[in-house]
Amino acid sequence: MGSVLAASSPNPPPPTSGGAPAPGLTVPPGFGMPPVSPVIPPAGAASGQQQEAENPLPNPGAFDECHRKCKEVFPMQMEGVRLVVNKGLSNHFQVNHTVLLSTMGDSSYRFGATYVGSKQTGPAEFFPVMVGDMDNTGSLNAQIIHQITNRIRSKVAFQTQQQKFVNWQGDAEFRGEDFTATVTLGNPDVLVGSGIVVTHYLQSITPALALGGELVYHRRPGEEGTVMSLVGRYTGSNYIATLTLGSAGAHASYYHKANDQLQVGVEFEASTRMQDTSVSFGYQLDVPKANLQFKGSIDSNWIVGATLEKKLLPLPLSLVLCAFLNHHKNKFQCGFGVTIG
Amino acid sequence: LSAAGTPSSGVMDWIGSACRFASDRNDFRRNLLVNLGLFAAGVWVARNLSDFDLMSPQPVT
Repeated sequence: MGSVLAASSPNPPPPTSGGAPAPGLTVPPGFGMPPVSPVIPPAGAASGQQQEAENPLPNPGAFDECHRKCKEVFPMQMEGVRLVVNKGLSNHFQVNHTVLLSTMGDSSYRFGATYVGSKQTGPAEFFPVMVGDMDNTGSLNAQIIHQITNRIRSKVAFQTQQQKFVNWQGDAEFRGEDFTATVTLGNPDVLVGSGIVVTHYLQSITPALALGGELVYHRRPGEEGTVMSLVGRYTGSNYIATLTLGSAGAHASYYHKANDQLQVGVEFEASTRMQDTSVSFGYQLDVPKANLQFKGSIDSNWIVGATLEKKLLPLPLSLVLCAFLNHHKNKFQCGFGVTIG
Repeated sequence: LSAAGTPSSGVMDWIGSACRFASDRNDFRRNLLVNLGLFAAGVWVARNLSDFDLMSPQPVT
């Protein structure tokens, strides 16, 4: 086996000297993944209590991020031609223009704006964060994220399809010393008497093991129900294994960081409702010297896909090529994208 | 040919049933087992066969 490396989260945007985010910020702070804690070797019984006081259990991170590390390894399917222009107008404000020329659906133009406040809570975390975008048909996506206290973070999100609201939700996340609890209220409608409440809880049991659960309560006139699922995540020195089990199905993921250049992910999904299972194998190749990132995947539905992303330095230009083949259905899809800024 | 009810016909029946199960792509349990096996194989490959250094210099011949 190669050198043992601790799995690390994607690098957050670097902080500027003024303590405010730099222009041209593409990833709003607060969206990043919390660092993965390496396994701490077991201590002797005599110094057990002292070690426990010195090495408290880490916060396990958000419930939704349990499978994220593995999912980020897989290529994202894209079709048509996409042009993205990012422009930072100040340390706090950035706009982006996206033109999508599609071969399958309608082509579209999307305007987006990101505002990052000046309340700093971490090395690269600033709040409030407001992200929104609207396309040429008037459909809006908007999110507002704010750190209310040191431990409580809230988010409000809206989504419209032209003039009609299709999704509105608010959530509050509490991060304790060794646990994270989240409550989400989705599409509440007092007049009709419908809505969805989702609660998440994730607890660190050991520095490597975190266990948790999710409870979803949904209600609409004449119908209500609950769905529960349990999650377990084990973090090793260079791997993360996560399992989610519930009445709706199962989801298992394994993320492995072989070295600085290669990361591998394996995912298994089973849905009892759809009576379907699938397995995907993906890898990510980073070649920083060539400013190149390659992602490839193959799954049990005979779909093979890959994306190639290359930064054309010194120009502020990034090129993305994507191709997906569905051998079972004899379908091919390719995409080309350019990002400026 | 073996007469019905003999052990060899029972084994043949079991093998036939197992082959039909293994090749029935519409069976949920069969797909579940196959994909679980593929997942285990993928984890084994990730842990044991991903250890190569792309930036290492080429061997001199």
